[in-house]
Amino acid sequence: MTIEDAFDARLKAAFADAQDDYEQDTESADAFMKRVQNRIARPDRRRILILGAAGSTGSAIAGTQLETFFSGVDIPADGILASVAGFATPETMAAGVLAIMISGFAFILPKRI
Amino acid sequence: MKASDEELVALVVAARDTVAFGELVRRHQGLVRSMLARMCGNRALAEDLAQEAFIRAFRKIGSFTGAGSFKSWLCRIAYNEFLMSARKRKATEKAMDRFKQDVDDIEAPRDMGSVVDLDRALATLKEDERAAVVLCYASGLSHSEAAEMLNMPLGTVKSHVNRGREKLKAWFEKSEALVS
Repeated sequence: MTIEDAFDARLKAAFADAQDDYEQDTESADAFMKRVQNRIARPDRRRILILGAAGSTGSAIAGTQLETFFSGVDIPADGILASVAGFATPETMAAGVLAIMISGFAFILPKRI
Repeated sequence: MKASDEELVALVVAARDTVAFGELVRRHQGLVRSMLARMCGNRALAEDLAQEAFIRAFRKIGSFTGAGSFKSWLCRIAYNEFLMSARKRKATEKAMDRFKQDVDDIEAPRDMGSVVDLDRALATLKEDERAAVVLCYASGLSHSEAAEMLNMPLGTVKSHVNRGREKLKAWFEKSEALVS
């Protein structure tokens, strides 16, 4: 790996000494471990706020805009498709898109933040 | 018998076992905290980054495939934390340099021991050289593992390590000449 000589050994020893400061200070190691465990056990408030805000914003936008957007959509269809299209009112389509958006937030954001 | 890292990881993945994860933290905290302290040159910042690294490791533990060692997987996460923090700090680099200078003046007299000397010597290296040297010497990674982690060709990492090592050697020789 590296050129092995006296300086190499000295450098490795210096890094090992620096690490030993952390290894041997058990009090500091325990305190560090506890801090990590506490952070894991406690839900991150900032994360929850960001997720909540993103979800609310998405819902507000969807709720106010989508119905108007879909009311202008005219699906040209005959037969069974026409009756299906009859059920697809602007409200239903807006609700469907809203559901997809909320699912997206719920699925993707927790992984990204 | 002491459980291996892989067995503890399996417990964490299967049951989100925080006690098992605590044991992993206890085993590797020295390595991660020391590595980040050498890279940052700022102990307080290194502590915060180490904590973030372990929390990120807990969240992403399912992505540990066991292809390499848990130690090198953890080092990669810690190094990524360091990189993200370094990017953020670039905006306030001047202020940080001033702060670091102040800290050096106050906290680093010559008789503080080899760790301070090591940090001072590492501060003379370029960022890439320092990262390569720390990963290979402090974390005990092979050149190829370090190359993968640093996202650099193997030859570049070897050059960084050799150049960094020569600079450190020169720094220590000069420093010893001054003392004697």
